[in-house]
Amino acid sequence: MAKEKDTKPMANTVIGSTLVIDGEITGEESLTILGTVKGKIAVAQNLVVEAGATVEADVEAQTVTVSGRLTGNVVARERLELKPESKMVGDAKSPRIVIADGAGFKGNVDMDV
Amino acid sequence: MASDEPCLIASKSAVRGQISGKQDLVVEGRVEGRIGLESHLTIEESGSVEADMDVSQVTVRGEARGDMVAARSAVLHATARVAGKIRAPEIVIEDGAKFSGTIEMEVELPAGIKAGGA
Repeated sequence: MAKEKDTKPMANTVIGSTLVIDGEITGEESLTILGTVKGKIAVAQNLVVEAGATVEADVEAQTVTVSGRLTGNVVARERLELKPESKMVGDAKSPRIVIADGAGFKGNVDMDV
Repeated sequence: MASDEPCLIASKSAVRGQISGKQDLVVEGRVEGRIGLESHLTIEESGSVEADMDVSQVTVRGEARGDMVAARSAVLHATARVAGKIRAPEIVIEDGAKFSGTIEMEVELPAGIKAGGA
């Protein structure tokens, strides 16, 4: 099953590029953000912060993939990936962390070793 | 990614706080707080919204509670259960829909009837 990739099955929560959410998002599905979210995010599956998206939130998810900007502390239970051009400021905690060439990151890394 | 991708709050997801934007939004899950959109809000059958809503158009098939202001129209389908206040120039309540609260349309009252009176 396509679990490694940015899975995009139907019925995932999608926050579009013009949307601004100030508050808290929780869910059992994956969450894709193209817009702006401030506050707190806790999802049971994958969080994708697309290019152009801005997230200022503490984040907890199974996997976190960042192509946009993320400010806040991240706990990814399985994997955190910072794509090229992404910017992240905050502390990262995950057993697997990938920082691509071109990604910007400032903060602590905790891989639980 | 296309900016006109449909926005969805999926059925097992919840947003607490304020949502604003210019894009159509479909709620299959839960929203608490405030929704301000220059576009179309759809609350699906599994959706539940407890919020003050200020949108261009609203379509309800699920549950909603709060003040609803629609610049164009508000449609409550047969499965809708809504409590609160609805203000819109065009309001449709289908047979089977449940609503309790106040409705405000811009109605031209016949001469001799005072506006705002009971």
